[in-house]
Amino acid sequence: MLSCREASRLLSRMQDEELPPLRRFMLKMHLTACDGCTRFKAQLEFLREAMQRYRA
Amino acid sequence: MAVPPPAAEIESHRGYLMRVAQLQLRDRESAEDAVQETLLAALAARDGFSGRSSLKTWLTGILKHKIVDAIRRRQREPRATASFEEELDLDDFDGLFRSNGAWDTPPADWGDPVAALDRREFLDILDFCLDKLPPNTGRVFMMREVMELETDEICKELAITANNLWVILYRARVSLRQCLEQNWFAGTPAR
Repeated sequence: MLSCREASRLLSRMQDEELPPLRRFMLKMHLTACDGCTRFKAQLEFLREAMQRYRA
Repeated sequence: MAVPPPAAEIESHRGYLMRVAQLQLRDRESAEDAVQETLLAALAARDGFSGRSSLKTWLTGILKHKIVDAIRRRQREPRATASFEEELDLDDFDGLFRSNGAWDTPPADWGDPVAALDRREFLDILDFCLDKLPPNTGRVFMMREVMELETDEICKELAITANNLWVILYRARVSLRQCLEQNWFAGTPAR
């Protein structure tokens, strides 16, 4: 089982490249059970959107 | 065919371009050079501006090349990567997680954050948070998110490993997330 520390790193990495299948699966499992990381994921996606607005 | 933008309109974006260049290059002098080169190039090529993108986007595209040129020039200087090392160490992030790896304080509920993007004040806070990033971290994050370089391009430009890059981008994102939460979303009621 992934820890939040590991999951948060994978969520950041996922913004830059596709994760290997096993990691992706482990991350998915973690997210179904973890509200903190689910929010972290949404917030990283928001951050990317905010940077696009910043640039525009 | 779009009307070429007047010189004054191009010039009016100098402040914005300067902010992007300075955040990116962390050095006033090379930022000024890059912006100056961008404005000159834009004036010379303004007949080719199609009007399909906004003028700001077009100028940012030109600036991107000038910044990459500047970074490439700087890479050739020996002291270029001197301070990368300390930003690669995530020890200062230890407090974010408990010893079992769970969040110490899990990320808060931001409600519907997209609404914030229409607020000038929010973009100012974002600017403030970007400024607080350590120099190399800020530079790499801007290369990735504003200039939209692919990770392998960044690694090549800066001569760092993919692993180093993930650490730096992680540092940037976690720090920005925290800064935005403290300075903007703290007042958002949980739902």
